[in-house]
Amino acid sequence: MRRSTLTLPAIALTGALALTACGSGADDGPVTLRFLSLAWQTDSVEANERLVAEWNEAHPDVQVEYVQGSWDNVNDQLMTGFEAGDPPDIIHNDSPALADFAGRGYLADLTEYLPEDLKSDIRPEAWETATFDDQIVGVPFLQESQVFIANRKLLEEAEVRIPTPDDPWTWDEFAEASEKLTDDDTYAVAWPLGSPVNRVLNLSLNYGGTFFEVDGEGRASAKMGDAELEVLRRIHDQLYTDETADPATVGMSGSDPLPAFFAEEYAMVQTGVYARQQVAEQAPDDFDWVTIPPLVGDTAEQGATSQTLSVAADSANPEQAAEFISFFLNAENQVDLALGDWLVPTSQEAAAAPELNTEENDWHVATASAEDLVFAPYLRVQGFDEWKTRVAQPALEEYFNDRISLEELSERLETEGDDVLSRYN
Amino acid sequence: MSSTTAPPRTDPTPPAGRGPGRRRRADRPDRAALGLMVPALVPVLLFSVAPLIYGVYLAFTDARSGRNVDAEFVGVENFVELLGDGDFWASFQIGLVWAVGVTVLQFAAGMGLALLLNQDLRLRWLARTLAMVPWAMPPVIIGLMWKLVYHPNAGILNATLRDAGLIADNIDWLNDFSVALPAIIVVGVWTGMPQTTIVLLAGLQGVPRELHEAAHVDGAGAWRRFRSVTLPQLRPVIVTITSLNFVWNMNEFALVWVLTQGGPGGRTRLPMLYAYEEAFRYGFFGYAAAMGVAIVLVVLAVLAVYLRRQLKETE
Repeated sequence: MRRSTLTLPAIALTGALALTACGSGADDGPVTLRFLSLAWQTDSVEANERLVAEWNEAHPDVQVEYVQGSWDNVNDQLMTGFEAGDPPDIIHNDSPALADFAGRGYLADLTEYLPEDLKSDIRPEAWETATFDDQIVGVPFLQESQVFIANRKLLEEAEVRIPTPDDPWTWDEFAEASEKLTDDDTYAVAWPLGSPVNRVLNLSLNYGGTFFEVDGEGRASAKMGDAELEVLRRIHDQLYTDETADPATVGMSGSDPLPAFFAEEYAMVQTGVYARQQVAEQAPDDFDWVTIPPLVGDTAEQGATSQTLSVAADSANPEQAAEFISFFLNAENQVDLALGDWLVPTSQEAAAAPELNTEENDWHVATASAEDLVFAPYLRVQGFDEWKTRVAQPALEEYFNDRISLEELSERLETEGDDVLSRYN
Repeated sequence: MSSTTAPPRTDPTPPAGRGPGRRRRADRPDRAALGLMVPALVPVLLFSVAPLIYGVYLAFTDARSGRNVDAEFVGVENFVELLGDGDFWASFQIGLVWAVGVTVLQFAAGMGLALLLNQDLRLRWLARTLAMVPWAMPPVIIGLMWKLVYHPNAGILNATLRDAGLIADNIDWLNDFSVALPAIIVVGVWTGMPQTTIVLLAGLQGVPRELHEAAHVDGAGAWRRFRSVTLPQLRPVIVTITSLNFVWNMNEFALVWVLTQGGPGGRTRLPMLYAYEEAFRYGFFGYAAAMGVAIVLVVLAVLAVYLRRQLKETE
């Protein structure tokens, strides 16, 4: 009996062939594209699924399959998918992850596939977050700016001027207001600094802090100067010198401080514009809140990361995938996506939509903040992800827990940072 | 596939001056036995031995992620770099604290539980079944469950401690630099106790009653009987289960990954987590493979020393 020796390899071979067949997409019959989406808020998932259904109805020969992913492990998942040669065709991610993937050649260059009107509709600063070596490796669509959400009643009681997009606070005014807002049972600010790296880097552009220098050949090195340390120092001062911010929130992330904020333990919470949703939905009925527009340092500029849609270089149908992306991210659809995620669209036409400019839920503050969102240099740095998780994250955690000094922090970000970056150069 | 036809090639001539013909026949597997072995052997070679060899090979290359990236053979470069990698050794130290801590506590707690379950208690069948429950749960589920237990605001642990007046403020167990490692060690002990308990229990049931009775007649108390009768009788079982536990714990991944992902600030980054990050997050496959090889070597060395000592004492 030869059969026993042959069956298993035969099965393995059949399996391998079946996998290859799935990956390449059949030439005859409709093209099937897999779309890995990371949408997670109910409204946003709904908008995503609706748009996919709309597309599938209008394009019987290019069918898109919606695959639900998660921000928590998307990069690990993509890495294995790319290496196995079977990644999803259309990939939802955010711009900090793109540099590494683009550098390794995993992402298709979309420059020639995208229509002119999409290219001109999306703000150039946003395009920059997804363009590497003159190749567009992703279409940016949603951006987040860093704001504060404040308890209007407490601000009025303390007789603090409430800033507007036209007349925002400077960091100095913010510090003064914080002094006024702090008393025995209220801290002025909650800084949830659980994963602080991107936020600190984005805010540091207020004082021109770029943290990296990238030379002509694309080699990056860490750079720490006064400009880089300014925002770090100011946050630390609030926590431990002025004592206007609660050190207990340092380990928290995102929306963790909201319950205490509703209980008036904090007058303001630092967060991204998206958190307005949780505040709007979870705050007690009589709770009056206001969004404080981005602070101003030397400039009002903040670094921005974008959510992006990319096409895998291994995709058999990059053209159709790009077509789907162009449909998915047209101005009209971006309005829905922005509303679903409570973020700011990159499309200029979408940003002008009335739904995104009402005073309801401070949409006008959120949308206006997009104008100061600029490209942050760290997005170009290959090895940024490792720098962030291995070096910056632990060092910043220790700094914000008051375990190391600003000098030590600066030293670590620079020397340990250069060690990490040298692996990628 | 040549290996599947290998057995006929085994040396047909018997060792000189030894072995009568009868034995020789028994040593050589016949065709029928071979046919039965092959289906079992092929998957082992294909899915266990081959990846292992490939993994070891990767450790000597500069393989990294990327399209059209060619890996080159770099000799022991990865290992040289590894020797000077402070982060890796820090993680190794954490791994040892974790593995030794969990193994010792698992043994102590498992022993206590096994002794208890070996008594003639009422509802013993129920207690024995309940003691097995953690075993039936996948590590990811255990991780999620304990994450909720440790949750700083909504966790039952903080709530209980606060109600009991033991703490004033909530403790963020899994994010605090100093308590994160002990916190996950507790989970590790909880998870691994059933195996340890059941193996020790089986061992206890193999201890002859007469020995206890004889010791009792000689006037030995409970503690003395445990030390002089139970422990020596259990020794082989104890050596087996603790060394197995040590290996399992050293290689633990899913549980800790779910609980902390190696945080805060790398305080719970076991070597396996470090290697995983290195490979699947940053894409340095060769270096990560070298870490895997290094971990295996160190675990083997530790085990060799431990087993040698234990077995020597038994003799």
